[in-house]
Amino acid sequence: MNCSECAGKLNEFCDGELAVEEARAVVEHAASCPQCAAELDSLRRLRVATGALPRTIAPGRDLWPAIMAQIEQAGAAKKSASSAGSDAVTTRKPRGRVIAWAIPLAVAASLVLIANVANRHAAARLHPTGWQVVSLAGVPRVNALPLKSSGELRRGQWLVTDSVSRAKVTIGSIGEVSVEPNSRMRLVESAPTDHRIELARGTMNALIWAPPRLFFVDTPSGTAVDLGCAYTLSVDDRGGGELRVTAGYVALEYGGRESIVPAGLMCLTRPGVGPGVPFRIDAPPELRSALEQLDFGRADAAAAVRRLVDGAGADDAVMLWHLLGRSPVAERGAVYDALARHHPPPAGTTRPGILTLDAGMLRAWGEELGLNSFATR
Amino acid sequence: MTYVDLAPAPIAFVAVSEAVDDERDLVARAQARDASAFEQLYRTHMQRVYAVCLRMTGSVVTAEDLTQRAFVAAWNHLPRFRGDSAFSSWLHRVAVNTVLADLRAEQRRNQRVFTTENPAAFETAPPASPIGTRLDLEQEIAALPPQARAVFVLHDVEGWQHDEIAAQLGVAVGTTKAQLHRARKLLQEALR
Repeated sequence: MNCSECAGKLNEFCDGELAVEEARAVVEHAASCPQCAAELDSLRRLRVATGALPRTIAPGRDLWPAIMAQIEQAGAAKKSASSAGSDAVTTRKPRGRVIAWAIPLAVAASLVLIANVANRHAAARLHPTGWQVVSLAGVPRVNALPLKSSGELRRGQWLVTDSVSRAKVTIGSIGEVSVEPNSRMRLVESAPTDHRIELARGTMNALIWAPPRLFFVDTPSGTAVDLGCAYTLSVDDRGGGELRVTAGYVALEYGGRESIVPAGLMCLTRPGVGPGVPFRIDAPPELRSALEQLDFGRADAAAAVRRLVDGAGADDAVMLWHLLGRSPVAERGAVYDALARHHPPPAGTTRPGILTLDAGMLRAWGEELGLNSFATR
Repeated sequence: MTYVDLAPAPIAFVAVSEAVDDERDLVARAQARDASAFEQLYRTHMQRVYAVCLRMTGSVVTAEDLTQRAFVAAWNHLPRFRGDSAFSSWLHRVAVNTVLADLRAEQRRNQRVFTTENPAAFETAPPASPIGTRLDLEQEIAALPPQARAVFVLHDVEGWQHDEIAAQLGVAVGTTKAQLHRARKLLQEALR
């Protein structure tokens, strides 16, 4: 797929209207093309912002008196017409009354369609179906029963792969997940606004083309919230998780702590602690070691932050932004300086405000780094 | 390990259930031509109806007019409402159809210039997203061409499907898709 083809597919991709192969091609192209990735990101932000618009707006004045007057006028006219008997046939109706009834008549023709659409939506909600599961290798098991080629995974059922088996699960109409060997996965919920699985152990690769926050993966050490696109999530035998994002964004949440992980970054999470600071997938060992020490170690956190600040470059902005809220107070200034050196804070933010973790200022800076729509839900 | 206390759930359910019963009662009374019951329904749903009218027209004056017309239409057709769907869903559809009928009439007359007369009207609702962002977006939506705006609001804000929008507008699905993509492109450029 080239840029022109990709650009022509982005809207349908974001609306979940592409076939799986086309959606995959878009993801793969966007993963290697910064221009198309930026366009996809822009489109997603618009969808997120639109989805956050309030559903109600108060009019500037009370409209009821005018409505009541029209209702009374129509009622009086109806009475008058029925009492006038045959005379009404020859009486010319006032123009205003014709207009008053023209709209209702136009609307009447639509009411049958309204009922049909409403019934169809209600039926879809009342009869949720399972997700299709296909064997990719070996013999995966669905609720302990062998899966020969394909079948259905229903709510509450487990999909288990052994050392040689793999499977692919179609997530409703919003994406697909491949389940790698030695994995245990359960379908928790399949609802229009909540597609949720539990990954108890093993590895899964997710490709999602729905709007953000429709697909969730629960693990023993956090929930991965899809904010759009593609990622790999692994859970070890102790419940620790490793997330690698190849396109789009994923949020890792646990106990009120949230890490936003964009494409090209990864994040670790541990039971009882939650997600650590996201970092580049190609980060050097010394940087990863310092993060491990900060996030999950018992050693000197301040020393770990100093090592991270010293080793951080322009590509580590997301890591530094997360570090602002997770560093000891005494080290926060150094983190601020390191981030500001490569990505100056936006207008309206101040150093003291950031150092005291002013939510609005942090959000504004996160917005500059491409994290706003997700970090400020 | 922390356990979730499930005790509040049944209470919440009862509250929702009572609200539904209350609304059914109001609808039944309004169907029997009780204007006071209809006024209560108006008070409950007026902001939702006005929001879709305002967003689809970009005009405060037109939105107020269409909100009134939508409620008058709902009053007139309420006796035929069978309760197959929620009253709110039915009313919402009536409102959208009222706006679309007006949009078609306007297109035929091709006289009105669609502009935002008073962007501050959008400030009456509490901000749901970062300060500035929501208002900017509302203003840019209001500035979209009428047809693109209607399709955008119905699809991206109200969650309609293309086939439903196309049926209501009397155009092909390909046309509504093109209008939607055009609207998004214009908004992306305006908000950059």
